[in-house]
Amino acid sequence: MPIIEVWATIRPVRAFNSAILATALIVIAACRQNREIAQPVTLVVSLTGDPGPLNPAVTTSGNTHPVTDQIFNGLVGLDESLQPVPELAESWRIEDSGRVYRFVLRKDVSWHDGRAFTSADVKFTFEEALLKYHSRTRAALTDLVSAIETPGPHEVVFRLKRPYGPLLQRLDVVEASIIPKHAFVGEDLLSGAPTRRPIGTGPFKFVSYAPADRVVLEKNASYFRRGLPGVDRLVFRIMPNAATSVAALEQGEIDYVGSVAGPDLERLRHTQGIAVVAGSGGSGGSICQDVLIPNLSRPPLGDVRVRRAIMAALDRPFVVDRVYFGQGRPATGPISHLLAWAYTPDVRQYPHDTAVAERWLDEAGLRRARGGERFAVTFTHANTQQRFAQAVREQLKGVGVTVNLQTLDFNAAVDRVFVKKDFDLGMASYCNGADPDIGVRRVYVSSNIGPLPFSNGAGYHNDRVDRLFDEAAELVDRESRRARYAQIQRILADEVPYFWIIDSEGLRAHRTAFEGFRLWTGALAETVHVTGQSR
Amino acid sequence: MTALSIWRWVVRRLLLAFLVVCGMTILTFVLIHAAPGDPIYVLAGDGGTPSYYADMRAKYGLDRSVADQFVRYANAVGRADFGYSFMYQAPVTRVLGQHAPASLLLGVTALLIATVGGVGIGILTASRPHGVLDRVVRNVNVVAFSAPVFWTGQILIIVVAVQLRLLPAGGITSARDDLTGIAFVVDVARHLVLPAITLAMPFMAVVSGVSRAAVVDALSEPYILAASARGVPRRVLIWKHAAAIAAVPIVALVGEHAASVVAGGALTEALFGWPGLGYLVLHASLHRDYPLVTASFIVISSSVVLANAVTDLLCARLDPRIMLA
Repeated sequence: MPIIEVWATIRPVRAFNSAILATALIVIAACRQNREIAQPVTLVVSLTGDPGPLNPAVTTSGNTHPVTDQIFNGLVGLDESLQPVPELAESWRIEDSGRVYRFVLRKDVSWHDGRAFTSADVKFTFEEALLKYHSRTRAALTDLVSAIETPGPHEVVFRLKRPYGPLLQRLDVVEASIIPKHAFVGEDLLSGAPTRRPIGTGPFKFVSYAPADRVVLEKNASYFRRGLPGVDRLVFRIMPNAATSVAALEQGEIDYVGSVAGPDLERLRHTQGIAVVAGSGGSGGSICQDVLIPNLSRPPLGDVRVRRAIMAALDRPFVVDRVYFGQGRPATGPISHLLAWAYTPDVRQYPHDTAVAERWLDEAGLRRARGGERFAVTFTHANTQQRFAQAVREQLKGVGVTVNLQTLDFNAAVDRVFVKKDFDLGMASYCNGADPDIGVRRVYVSSNIGPLPFSNGAGYHNDRVDRLFDEAAELVDRESRRARYAQIQRILADEVPYFWIIDSEGLRAHRTAFEGFRLWTGALAETVHVTGQSR
Repeated sequence: MTALSIWRWVVRRLLLAFLVVCGMTILTFVLIHAAPGDPIYVLAGDGGTPSYYADMRAKYGLDRSVADQFVRYANAVGRADFGYSFMYQAPVTRVLGQHAPASLLLGVTALLIATVGGVGIGILTASRPHGVLDRVVRNVNVVAFSAPVFWTGQILIIVVAVQLRLLPAGGITSARDDLTGIAFVVDVARHLVLPAITLAMPFMAVVSGVSRAAVVDALSEPYILAASARGVPRRVLIWKHAAAIAAVPIVALVGEHAASVVAGGALTEALFGWPGLGYLVLHASLHRDYPLVTASFIVISSSVVLANAVTDLLCARLDPRIMLA
């Protein structure tokens, strides 16, 4: 009732009134919800599949890391602009123009079982786990690292065979979680006891795991970041169906969902007590781009003129709007605009123009036949991408290109496109990661053409691009690296080895009773707290 | 029937069951290996080098030929070792053991709802064939039988869980609380209602249809007509005499479908986040977890075969005219 009175007494400008009313409602809603939060404070996060063994140093699984990233730490963390910040390492020095990285570790960190964290844990984690089993870290660092030294219990030195700029971006909890050496003595890294009862240094301690049901964690009261975490219990509820998790969110059984299906968006946006927020990072890969992959070894997509025409024929704003429900922005090149320091829009652009596309196709010698068709291609895609595939088929039909759809389950599609290479057009979501060297390089360098998932699927080969990627990796100075990546983006936008569709920015939703979600990093829940309660 | 002939029947059924299960095992093994997609990428993650994937394949024995893998698998199964799940990094028997209770609970509840509800509705509609209730039920049955479970389930979730807030949307217990004792049982029961109804609906439609037909048939038997002529009340005729004859086709139907309802709830389980075998099979197939998929199918086919045998025995008991052969 007080709101009505306020409404009645202040009535100068209508918009102003609405703003006040909205604020008042939000405050009231928030207060009401805060009252609903019982002690101890439990945060429930939905998870789409079983995490399996809980050892983050041997897997890149998008179901394992959301859980383990709350239990473990990296040497460094990443801030919102993906710059390294101290975590287990309190400081570091880069020497010998990027050949030596010297870390000083925090002295006040202990494992959840009470043992002290030391440099021996770091050395063990890299040598026995990350460099052997973590697919991305092993691929990137095995040939690079010549030695990992531990001059003291709180000092670690990485010696590299050549200078390497983006090392720090590879040392966060997602790419390089540090695991306890003492717990793994005599235990198998993939299946030993500590993978079922993980011991970390992180904000939450493991309590229990019921397969297909839930993982329960509790607050680590002696976490080295005093005052964190802000909730007492953290429960991951395993919910394979996205629509059901959204229903559970609306009902209040779940507090956070990591993805929202397009059709649920409008409803959720107008649901009181729920906030829909955009985020581009997290445990499952950060700053991703969805791209169409042409098989460059097959005509006619091997012809750059044809690829440019197709780029112009694709109405990407329409796709972003209608297929992705606005969860991102049309991509302009190989680096997402969300990786802001490395991105440049100053490249050849392909605005949607079917007339131009038709002219370019004519010029490439692919004239319309009597039925109106120029040529036909098969688009191999996963069953989760059917709406996108249909949009592509319709748009290319407009310029005389027939697209035959081949819908497979996800693993089968990956197998056909990347391993068997039996496709004309494929599709993938490539994640740029915290640095172009992590997730962009692998898509374009010729050394990564091979029967491997999410490698250089198009089979693109350009010596100059290869060289520029190498140079950019060996530089530490960001300005010089930026210049190399700008050059790379210009070359690639000219040659169109892939059709970049969208710089994804996935939407997540959480109950407004909680705030402080860290959406760009794996450590999602570290700073979450009940709304209004400052830490 | 003599004791000897029962034993002969049992031995024959066991032999048949063994062959069926063996056949299913081979078929599953071949099919899942033939499906495109390499489990190593799911298992080991993306972005690795060829040598890394080669190492990992060797570690899991995936570098051997399919025939070699099958021989090793069959040998292990012979020793009651069902292998090691890739996804869970745990013995398959343990993983199955963790998921079986939830499936049994859901399946048996759904079966009870479908049988009790279906038989009840069948008898009610049979007592006034072509009446208003009968016509309404027949139309509802068509919808209930043909609607896909994920549609029925979502409608139930939206209406009952989200709009009315009567029951939880998914899971087997409330994630926010750690309940014990009677509160825990009530909590599980509340979570059970929607998935059990969803899973029961299509089968309940079949059971009610079959029950109605069986009772209507029975009511036209000469001796029932005779009893009716002697003044036995219709209520007694239906519930006592006709229902007894109608029991045979109903038991046959329920028995035949029992195992598949219990084991076949994959879509329902996935929709409601119910931690059972169906969800496990779905998840394991998508992840190409060969040992887990194969073992799940051994369990499922064994239970189907077993349920069928028990049904045959029950039917023979209920109606002496049925011979075990």
